[in-house]
Amino acid sequence: MLIVPIGRVPDVACKAVIPHIRTLFHLDADILPPLPEAHYAHDTVRDQYNAAHILHRLETRFERTPLKILGVVNVDLFIPVFTHVFGEAREGGQCALVSLYRLRDRLNQTRPSQDLILERTVKVALHELSHLFSITHCTHAGCIMHFSMNLKDLDDTPLEFCKYCDAFLKAAIHRFASAGSSGR
Amino acid sequence: MNKSMRIMVVDDEMIVRESLFHWFEKSGHAVETAASGFEAIKKLEERPFDLLFVDIKMPKMGGMELLEKVKVEYPETDVVIITAYGSIESAVEAMKKGASDYLLKPFKPDQMNLVLEKITNQRKMATHYQYVKGVLEQMTRFDDIIGQARPMKEIFAMITEVAQSDASVLITGETGTGKELVAKAIHSKSARANGPFIAINCGALPENLLETELYGHQKGAFTGADRARKGFLEVASGGTLFLDEIGEISAKMQVDLLRVLEERKIVRIGDRNEVDVDFRLISSTCRNLEEAVERGDFREDFLYRIKVIKIHIPPLRERKEDIPLLVRHFLNKYSHQTTKQVDHVSKDALAMLSTYHWPGNVRELENAIERAVVLSKSRTLKADDFAFLQPGTGTHAKPQTLRERERNYIREILESQDWNVTQSAKILGINRVTLHKMINRYDLKRTR
Repeated sequence: MLIVPIGRVPDVACKAVIPHIRTLFHLDADILPPLPEAHYAHDTVRDQYNAAHILHRLETRFERTPLKILGVVNVDLFIPVFTHVFGEAREGGQCALVSLYRLRDRLNQTRPSQDLILERTVKVALHELSHLFSITHCTHAGCIMHFSMNLKDLDDTPLEFCKYCDAFLKAAIHRFASAGSSGR
Repeated sequence: MNKSMRIMVVDDEMIVRESLFHWFEKSGHAVETAASGFEAIKKLEERPFDLLFVDIKMPKMGGMELLEKVKVEYPETDVVIITAYGSIESAVEAMKKGASDYLLKPFKPDQMNLVLEKITNQRKMATHYQYVKGVLEQMTRFDDIIGQARPMKEIFAMITEVAQSDASVLITGETGTGKELVAKAIHSKSARANGPFIAINCGALPENLLETELYGHQKGAFTGADRARKGFLEVASGGTLFLDEIGEISAKMQVDLLRVLEERKIVRIGDRNEVDVDFRLISSTCRNLEEAVERGDFREDFLYRIKVIKIHIPPLRERKEDIPLLVRHFLNKYSHQTTKQVDHVSKDALAMLSTYHWPGNVRELENAIERAVVLSKSRTLKADDFAFLQPGTGTHAKPQTLRERERNYIREILESQDWNVTQSAKILGINRVTLHKMINRYDLKRTR
């Protein structure tokens, strides 16, 4: 798995994700040199960045790479019709995105600590990466694949998969790894 | 988070379609997209959807027009209207027209989720309602007989009542009205329900064969009788004997059966010993046997014996309020039997079926639905799918000449009166000789 900072992103955010990928996905992960800021995805009317455009750019850039890619940005992401998104991925796709921008937002007038921001980043990153392995949203509130409506939901969600999503994920990663070793 | 639904995103902007497609897909829903209202209608005709997300602003067919069409043709499909921020009036209008909810663009992901949760809950309630409705529908069914029209309710009550006795029942009604179903219902509710139900179509058998079938024979009674065989009068002992088309039996057979009904004994052909029989007789006819008695074509004493209780089943055209109920029943039956996903009848088609004359009654309706389901290429049966029905009686029939109309009308009257010329002439307001001339002129022949 590859982690790609896009624009100015704190190193620690990318580094924080790696041990969790190793523990929960049983896959290795590397950090690539940062890509330039995603100006091409900037929507001047909304003053936000279109996540679909960034994903498309990543997919084109890494189309020959047989690995899953996580892009990390520090800009306000949206997808059309939605006000914002914390991250974005397509089910069974190759690339996922996580944005730190709204994860820094205050909850109950309390400024979040650096650790809390990193924890949120890891949760969104693992949630979006799991979509790349065709894991859909989970009904179990204690699972990282449960859809978090807002930051409070995200903070309440533990950093773990329920036993079903865990089993599905392991099976999907096994299939992915087998396909890779057989000349993918 | 929600139970998986079949969702269609209808928007002319590809980027919106794609975004919502992937969004719903991640929640485990089955998603499709349509770039226009027309494409959405086409997809709805092919397969059912639980939920449509429709952009209000689209060229040609706008979201509001699509909403109206969906609510008329597919009321079970929920529609959520997506509208630009600031056009709250159109959102309110959409709700009045049957939209389940609306979203103002751009919306937060959690708003979308709340809408999905709300609709899932509404659909759960609707499923519960459908279940209760199904239970109520069972109450409008009597065994396999379906109807909620007043005459049918009276028949249901009568079935329950006559089932308690052993009296002979004569069921009258046009062909295809369900006379045998009524006979079976009486049997199944009677004390003889655990005994056999034997049905014989008297009109389908030549007299000597009918005699053998009813009475049975001894070994060697006639050429080919290489072993003894019980007749249906004997086999039906302890149960019910249903003689369909009783009006077709010969005068001799009427006398023979009259004797059996009075003495409760039979003698097998080629035998001398009497055998006791104990069956309940239910007969049926589409002819007017009272008139046949008057004409001397049917024995009066035999008629009184078989008609202790008379049940008349009205033709389908006289209980048209039952047509939608029957259509739904047969649609269910044949879409299950054929495993084709045909679960809908368009408003036009239902209107056409409701105005059609149905000379073949419920049987003709059942056959029409079966045929339409088998040949249908979409999930919705339309008026065109019933184009094979006899012209001249449906609302969608081709224009006809006066001569064609006259010919069809005379044929209909003759069929409805089982080709009783006297009765048909009376209804048509002409004399019998004129009717005979018209039958010849139009080359009309009995078809059933």
